[in-house]
Amino acid sequence: MSEAAISFRQVRAPLAGSASHLQLDLQIAAGQFVALVGPSRSGKSLAIEMAAGLVLPQSGKVMVLGQDWSAVEGADDGPVRLRVGTVLQQPGLLSNMTLFNNVLLPLRYHRGAMPDREREQAVMDQLERLGMASLRDRFPAELNQGEIRRGAIARSLMLEPEVLLLDDPVAGLDADMVLVLKQYVGARRQLRPLTVVAALRSFSPFIEGADRLVVLQEGRVVADGSLESVGSTVPSSLRHYVG
Amino acid sequence: MLRPSADPCRTLVALQVMLPYNFTVTQGAEAVAGSLLLLSGGGGAHLMIEWVGRKTIAGYAYLAALATLFVQAVLDLLSPGRQGRRETLRVLTRQILFTGVDALPVTSVIALLLGIIIVTQAGTQLPRLGAGGLVGSIIVITVIREIGPLITAFIVVGRSGTAIATELGNMSVTREVVALRLMGIPISQFVVMPRMVGMVLSMLCLTFYFDVVAVFGGYLVADAQLTIPFSAFVESVTRALSTTDLLMTAIKGFGFGSAVAAVCCYHGLAVRSSYTEVPQQTTRAMINSFVLCLLVDVVVTVPLYL
Repeated sequence: MSEAAISFRQVRAPLAGSASHLQLDLQIAAGQFVALVGPSRSGKSLAIEMAAGLVLPQSGKVMVLGQDWSAVEGADDGPVRLRVGTVLQQPGLLSNMTLFNNVLLPLRYHRGAMPDREREQAVMDQLERLGMASLRDRFPAELNQGEIRRGAIARSLMLEPEVLLLDDPVAGLDADMVLVLKQYVGARRQLRPLTVVAALRSFSPFIEGADRLVVLQEGRVVADGSLESVGSTVPSSLRHYVG
Repeated sequence: MLRPSADPCRTLVALQVMLPYNFTVTQGAEAVAGSLLLLSGGGGAHLMIEWVGRKTIAGYAYLAALATLFVQAVLDLLSPGRQGRRETLRVLTRQILFTGVDALPVTSVIALLLGIIIVTQAGTQLPRLGAGGLVGSIIVITVIREIGPLITAFIVVGRSGTAIATELGNMSVTREVVALRLMGIPISQFVVMPRMVGMVLSMLCLTFYFDVVAVFGGYLVADAQLTIPFSAFVESVTRALSTTDLLMTAIKGFGFGSAVAAVCCYHGLAVRSSYTEVPQQTTRAMINSFVLCLLVDVVVTVPLYL
């Protein structure tokens, strides 16, 4: 197995709205697609936020691409930030920009030397793959939840990150779009190594693309393995989360 | 270092702008209030002392947070990152257009009317006191030194300050601020600095523009009602006007612009998790901007007369 792209080492952090704590000791190899599955308030989103460096654990260490987020000082997260693409539950498309400009923003900001035409073509390619080319001039307020989420995922991949963190990526997506998204992420992984961690609160065909499922309940890992193997180890009360 | 405190929203807000949350206002206030309680020996005075202590420290912490925002914006302006200069410039241009250029019509109307009112009052009252020749001085003292910069600041607060607080508040609720951070775009550089610079530049220009239009309004009255010829009016104003007056106007424009931008950005980014906080923070931003502008005015003006 290659070196871990993301590692949660003896991590402990309080779960909001619950008396329990998230306790995680998890290594995610580079290029692996891991689905964090479980009911609400089980710690999936917190794990994603910790991997994104937004929340630091009470104890333990979260390392992403060799970066210990707790060692980061000040507002500048350093170069690792650009190697990690993140889409949270609230995707945060900028409301004063069109979908096209939202997806273009990371390139405009971080790839200033790239020719305009090249940048715009790159954005249109992504929008076309996600079936959103016709929506390019719409503002976020004119898009539905699923379209906003797909737009945010496209935006998070514009800088060709090595790690992709997705919190509830299929929320608001119809069945066809879930398949489109699954194919899109799969195609990106084939193109270049991409470690994907996706938090999902219900079973979805998107999970079928994962190499590994980690089932969480009340902040603890209750099952960990491939889709086939995890079915036999997961508690019966959570079996419907894994198919 | 920020930790996942009992209030994760506070952690997020602190992440957004690196406000000095390392020092918590409540803890500090409690420490001071506790010491005072020991000295006072108990009774109803405890609560009063505790309240005063809490409020005083909260006030200092607030001013420290505003100063931090301002200093960070200055640092970002002086040493902009290698990335995103064009995008930041785009935000700055939009801010100047909105705060400065779009405010010209309303500023013109208010300045013109104010100039008319002041010269009408001065022109009808001063001759009774045998001081009819002081119309120019009145215009300089009241409009250029005092009312011009203040009214301009109030116009900017009402138009742009509240807009900034509302925009940033909504951005915080919809987690656009966090999304920017996740894209590696520094909030202080991309959001705060261009708004602050845009507001300071706009405020400076609008203040001088206001003064010119108000003086022109005064001339209209002087010409039509008081039959003071243009040359005499101009001579009266220029005789009363000194370099110090222009310098004071510039200092005030800079001070008001900085204060209003810092206050409005702070309150916008202080919104945590609910849309109902947005109007609350906007109102606070507006009131605190007014108070801070008057405070800056006193700090700048009073030493001149001492």
